[in-house]
Amino acid sequence: MASIRVDDHELEVEEGRTLLQALDDAGLLMNGVDVPHYCWHPKLAIDGSCRLCQVEIEGFPKLQIACNTPVKDGMVVRTQTEAVRRAREGVMELLLINHPLDCPICDQAGECKLQDYAFEYGVGQSRTREPRRALKKSVDLGPTIVFDQERCILCRRCVRFCREVPKTGELGVFNRGDQSVIETFPGSELDNPYSMNVADICPVGALTTKDFRFKIRVWFLEDVPGVCTGCAAGCNVWLGTANNKVYRYVPRRNDAVNETWICDHGRMTYQQIGSADRIAHPALRGEDGILRAASLDDALAEAAARLRRVLDATGPGALGVVASPHASNEDLAVLRSLVDALAVEGAALAVRQGDSDEILVQAEKAANATGARALGFGDPAALLERLRGGALEALLVLGHDLLDPALLGEGDALDGVGSVILLDSHHSPLERAAHVVLPTRHAAEKFGTLTNHAGRVQRVRPAVEPAWAAWSEGELLARLGAALGLPDFDGKFDPRAVSRALGERAPAFDGVDWDSVGDEGLPLKQGGA
Amino acid sequence: MVISEDTRAAIEREIGKYPQRRGALLPALHLVQQEHGFVSPDSMRELAGIFELLPVEVMEVVHFYNMFHDRPRGRHQVHVCTNLPCSLRGARGLMRQLESHLGIHAGETTADGRISLGHEECLGACAYAPMLRIGETYHENLDAEQAKRLLDGLE
Ligand code: SF4
Ligand code: SF4
Ligand code: FES
Repeated sequence: MASIRVDDHELEVEEGRTLLQALDDAGLLMNGVDVPHYCWHPKLAIDGSCRLCQVEIEGFPKLQIACNTPVKDGMVVRTQTEAVRRAREGVMELLLINHPLDCPICDQAGECKLQDYAFEYGVGQSRTREPRRALKKSVDLGPTIVFDQERCILCRRCVRFCREVPKTGELGVFNRGDQSVIETFPGSELDNPYSMNVADICPVGALTTKDFRFKIRVWFLEDVPGVCTGCAAGCNVWLGTANNKVYRYVPRRNDAVNETWICDHGRMTYQQIGSADRIAHPALRGEDGILRAASLDDALAEAAARLRRVLDATGPGALGVVASPHASNEDLAVLRSLVDALAVEGAALAVRQGDSDEILVQAEKAANATGARALGFGDPAALLERLRGGALEALLVLGHDLLDPALLGEGDALDGVGSVILLDSHHSPLERAAHVVLPTRHAAEKFGTLTNHAGRVQRVRPAVEPAWAAWSEGELLARLGAALGLPDFDGKFDPRAVSRALGERAPAFDGVDWDSVGDEGLPLKQGGA
Repeated sequence: MVISEDTRAAIEREIGKYPQRRGALLPALHLVQQEHGFVSPDSMRELAGIFELLPVEVMEVVHFYNMFHDRPRGRHQVHVCTNLPCSLRGARGLMRQLESHLGIHAGETTADGRISLGHEECLGACAYAPMLRIGETYHENLDAEQAKRLLDGLE
């Protein structure tokens, strides 16, 4: 360990770390100790090319770049001296010589490091009269990204990202000096499953995603912390919201989960939140076989009546329950209470499977399969067998992951089931078999916790309100329990209270609840999952 | 395969001279350019395979040095040194004269494919500035008229 001093902060640092890394490790970088930087990124190799991070170190005759200077025991560093300030001004002046200064039409404006640092360290006026270099303003780099050559400050973050993270290496710096431009190899594109991260790490407005550009000014967005629901990785995201709408996901740094990245597929799943295929109201199937909108009370009463008929006539053995890996731990705790109160055996979990990779993406395409298993929902094989054998007269099913080709496939096996009660957020072929449909909320519309593939419990909160009728599964099931007249069901659902009580139901959740996990999450207790 | 067996063998011999394979990339680029007159994207891809690099990394090197060309060039390569000492002795004016004489800009090739004109960084002939290079031959202490005559004499 090395003891160093940076301004007024005494730090104990692991040997071999550089100054910027040490400040980042201590959580001080741009959060107590301001060392502006462009090329350095906590999760990429060091480049040392922008020269903005220069600091004064006692005993060194010249300023040093903090990003690539290893700490040494006894080092005394000053980041706010006159010499440092002038060096920053100088670097900013050089970077701005050729910058187009088209902030009024630039998507990055408002979250641009060039703007921020020019404001903070710029000299305010230009000493050059020569024309700025004129380059291409809109280069189509591939399916997801557009590049503005004039805005690029050549920090090489995007180049390093492609080589180091997806390891596809599509981008390079071609030419030299003031002719340098970022380009792809002739005839190839920037196209990999993580490509859109380059727009996040680009400190300026040079790289923008086709999806988000020109949609909205970023200062209108409120960033709500949340979790991607695209797979079991549970990557942390900021939901950029305005006008009760989610405009984008961007990665939220969590070194224990997704570092500073998200996959492109996950990034685009924000579109599911306000999509046209949301189930927008409760529905009941009429005598004529047509599904029609209904009030929640009528739908719940019908669901309760159908379940009651089967329970009274045949018993709980004729009722199947399928949990959704998209529901929160709290929702599923209510489902567990309902299942136990009805003495239903073999409540199962259906999870749609897909591709996985070595970086983030997990095969289970849902955010809370691990939580569902921790709450006792297990393998669906036995349930499917009973279903196919015609032993089930009623099915209470959450979500439509049952349609996975490895499980039900297109869902025809449900046609013979007398009563299918479906709780779901999006339309699917499963509705064809449903007698009662109850619309549920997306994770971006409710309080709750989700357990990722590694057993980390992470919380979500309402970022938007659905503009139609939708309830969390927990609330619908609490009301269904009350409609069934079950003791302990008063029809009320307080997710944070349920969260605090999760430990009583599954010891792995002991002390791991909505409030205690914070915005970075906490692992389930060992041996619990 | 666009790089010939002979050139490949020569590249392997160069690689043997360096502690790491990639050390021989510059000599290899020279060899390929000797063979084809330029380094095409296809050759860059093949070189990337030989050197275990990304194609873009090879391309970055090709673009960094202006003695490498990524597209076909004229029969004669004319390079005017426009570095500081030559410029102080009138190299930029010389370049402008040659540009208008040939009707092309530096970096371009005449329509008949006869001459490619280009800037060159220091060629180590500062004492004889201004100067230019045609292929591998230096022509020094030039004035514009001499230089134009030289170019007119090229086949
Ligand atoms: S495009 Fe952005 S990330 Fe890439 S080098 Fe330019 S400024 Fe840096
Ligand atoms: S890896 Fe999974 S959780 Fe992470 S962004 Fe992609 S889909 Fe979302
Ligand atoms: S951040 Fe240190 S040189 Fe760019």
